[in-house]
Amino acid sequence: MKKGIRKAAGSVVFLAGLCALLIFVSYLFLPKNNMAEFGMDEVTANGILGEKENSIDVLVVGDSESYSAISPMEMWAQQGFTSYVCGTSGQYLYLSDTFLKRAFEKQQPKVVILETDAIYRDVTFGGSFMNRLENLFSVFRYHNRWKSIGPGELFSSVEYTWTDDYKGYSYNAAVDAGKNEEHMNPTDHVAEIKELNEEYVAGMAQFCKDNGAVFLLVSTPSTVNWNYERHNGVQQLADKYGIPYIDLNLMKEEVPIDWTTDTRDKGDHLNHSGAVKVSAWLGKYLKEQYSLPDHRNDSAYAKWNEALDRYKKAVGQA
Amino acid sequence: MAVSSYYSIAYLALFLPIVIILYTVMPKKVRWLVLLLSSWWFFWCVSGKLLVYILLSSLSIHHGGIWLSLLQKERDSLMETAADKERKKELRSLYKRKQRMAAAAIAGLNIGILVFLKYGAFFGGNLNSLLALLKIPAVVSIPSLAVPIGISFYTLQAVSYIMDVYHEKIQADRNMGRLALYLSFFPQLMEGPICRYSETAMQLWRGERIRHENLVSGTQRMVFGMMKKIVIADRLNQFIKNVFTNNSNYDGTMTAIAVVLYTCQLYMEFSGTMDMALGCSEIFGMRMPENFRQPFFSRSISEFWQRWHITLGTWFKDYIFYPLSMANPMKKLTSRARKKLGNHYGPLIAGSAALFVVWLCNGLWHGAGWHYIFFGMYHFVLILAGNMTEPLFRGAAEKLHIRRESVPYRAFQVVRTAALVCVGELFFRADSLRIGLSMFRNMVTGLSFASIRNGTVFQAGMDRKDFVIVLIGVLIVLVNSVMKEKGIQPRKWLAGRPAAVRWAVCYALILFVVVFGAYGTGYVPLDPIYANF
Amino acid sequence: MERLIEILEEIQPGADYRTCTNLVDGHILDSLSILSLVAELEEEFDIIIPTVEIIPDHFNSAESIYALIVRLREEE
Repeated sequence: MKKGIRKAAGSVVFLAGLCALLIFVSYLFLPKNNMAEFGMDEVTANGILGEKENSIDVLVVGDSESYSAISPMEMWAQQGFTSYVCGTSGQYLYLSDTFLKRAFEKQQPKVVILETDAIYRDVTFGGSFMNRLENLFSVFRYHNRWKSIGPGELFSSVEYTWTDDYKGYSYNAAVDAGKNEEHMNPTDHVAEIKELNEEYVAGMAQFCKDNGAVFLLVSTPSTVNWNYERHNGVQQLADKYGIPYIDLNLMKEEVPIDWTTDTRDKGDHLNHSGAVKVSAWLGKYLKEQYSLPDHRNDSAYAKWNEALDRYKKAVGQA
Repeated sequence: MAVSSYYSIAYLALFLPIVIILYTVMPKKVRWLVLLLSSWWFFWCVSGKLLVYILLSSLSIHHGGIWLSLLQKERDSLMETAADKERKKELRSLYKRKQRMAAAAIAGLNIGILVFLKYGAFFGGNLNSLLALLKIPAVVSIPSLAVPIGISFYTLQAVSYIMDVYHEKIQADRNMGRLALYLSFFPQLMEGPICRYSETAMQLWRGERIRHENLVSGTQRMVFGMMKKIVIADRLNQFIKNVFTNNSNYDGTMTAIAVVLYTCQLYMEFSGTMDMALGCSEIFGMRMPENFRQPFFSRSISEFWQRWHITLGTWFKDYIFYPLSMANPMKKLTSRARKKLGNHYGPLIAGSAALFVVWLCNGLWHGAGWHYIFFGMYHFVLILAGNMTEPLFRGAAEKLHIRRESVPYRAFQVVRTAALVCVGELFFRADSLRIGLSMFRNMVTGLSFASIRNGTVFQAGMDRKDFVIVLIGVLIVLVNSVMKEKGIQPRKWLAGRPAAVRWAVCYALILFVVVFGAYGTGYVPLDPIYANF
Repeated sequence: MERLIEILEEIQPGADYRTCTNLVDGHILDSLSILSLVAELEEEFDIIIPTVEIIPDHFNSAESIYALIVRLREEE
């Protein structure tokens, strides 16, 4: 019996040592700044790390639909609140969850939006487990940096300095027209949401509640990715957990998307002119609904006005 | 749940821990059931409803075994009461015939399912080409069938069980659960080893508790296997894929490098998976037969096959080679030939005929395709050539005063064998025989140093640093192999070191896999190669 | 037994058949020499060696081969 306890204790010490080692190595591999040259992944989305503390009012997470449809600079120019899109292409909900929690380490957003397309990207156990492991020991996420890492980077301290002028939005003015066909034919069918996916949405809702933020589901317009079945699925989910849900696909008057001019890939993603329409309505709605502040004349937010100038120069007046 | 391979997270972080915990908390008597149900669960995760095929096989060998044992009992009781020797002889041959029918029926059923599912399309397609060639206006419709995971492996196990019962090497097992577990035990399901009933069935059944030493040692072996797969085999993936699929873009040197790397990848993937399987079994305190014995130290092709995929080789030897070469007509042939040709060439005729069948089956076993048949024939010819020229080589060596046991000569043999194996693997990997042949032509005619000098070699999916990591990984495996070759069991050796050394080695290996593993963004893991055979 | 040793030496010279105990496992007798050996033994000792009996254990030493011969003769 004594021998057994000693063996068990040995194993525990071994595993503790392993964890300590992994934490140490993780620090070595951690990008020391949020730029690509430092080995940062998903640079645009991680630009939020360089934003001033407690300066973001609205956080958006989601897949490519989110960064194609929502432009924080439009909403800043029109409404004066700050927002950031932590969207990445093909984002799984566990990554949305990771971005949400990462943002809350430095920010205190009042509203968090999850773009709903990611809800229908099935999360696997393996992917979710690996993501947890990566969050715990970042060496699993950044280990491939062994090829490029310089000796000077290993032990330096972490300081995020970079911010994105577009605040996570991906500007694309290309037009590849889709058909103006009705993609939202009402039906009673419900597109099923996988259990693990539902858990993540519920978890994010709870996290926001615990941190005093409003959690909001938004479906941005897409004829390829969205339909009434999915609308019903998300509506059910939203009702079940008491989450407000907005489906812009059904709001043709408020957000008049013209699929011959407002998409860059035949209805899959919006282009800039589509994003302007979505952002105009969404900014107004958020501002009124959640009485968000206007910082436009606040000198602490001067950098946002500077970024807006550069943004306007780049995209032209839409 | 996506348990798609022994390296998938779902398997390592969810499936295996659950099975280990359930196995531990359950009473000894039902532990076999835990293993059986989890094996079926595993099968279900990979192949879904095709589970019925392995159930059918289990059922058939259970009933078939009992049928054979009833025949044997009947014979024995009749023999006891038999009056004279004549009658006994009569009975013996009568029951031999009956048993042979029964065994053939059961083995035929199992092999029939395998052939139908795996080769139906191939034979059908070739038959159609033949019909078209002969201008016969008929077309055989080819069903496209899903093949259950590991069918090539468990079918051989099923057949060996039936044959062993038929030969009265083992008693028929009346316990259906035990037989089902013998066929479907999850660590060996996908890529073997191909076990014999007498080797593993009782071990699986016993329900021995999990011991700390076994847990540690088995886990070590699994980490070593992961190293082979994730650091080496997966890192080589992109390069090999590029050069094999766009071979016309590359010269002979690149092709040669890709062929060597593919042989390396195949070994690392397969032997790594064996480490996963045997390591996992070791955790449960079970010993499975080894499938590899440092194959690249072989001095001849025939020795290579005694060290590579050993359980397949012994299966073919026991259930095809000897039965064929020892069949009565063959025996007579051997006797007669020996008198005329002497001891070396005498048995060669019968032996070669049997060997031909073995290698035809071996080629086909790997898959339905002409390049696999070519692969089998290639090795058949090499082994045959080795057998034929053996006296010549012996004589030549004596005349030239080459000591065949000297280190340079042995090194020459090892390198020659490895080179021949690599060429064989070229055809094995190529998508078709035609592509294989054109790659081979490219390889032998296009050799130059150009692609090494101008750096093309580092632009096909692996840069310099990748090559260095692969090299380090191969060196680690080499050290391990040399230790084994010298009769040292690396893990036993490690267990005898002071704790500091032991832990340092384990930590180093784990970190090596974590940091230098080819996983994450930009890497596509290699699909299990042998699982598809 | 003497006769057996002679046969073995004839078929595959160069091993000490009196003491060697890993003829098969040590790859001294390969599968072709086994074929030769079986043919010779059957003739010499007037027995039939069925395929089932051809397992390494029975052929690893002269002694075990001899034991096999004796047993098969008794069974006849």
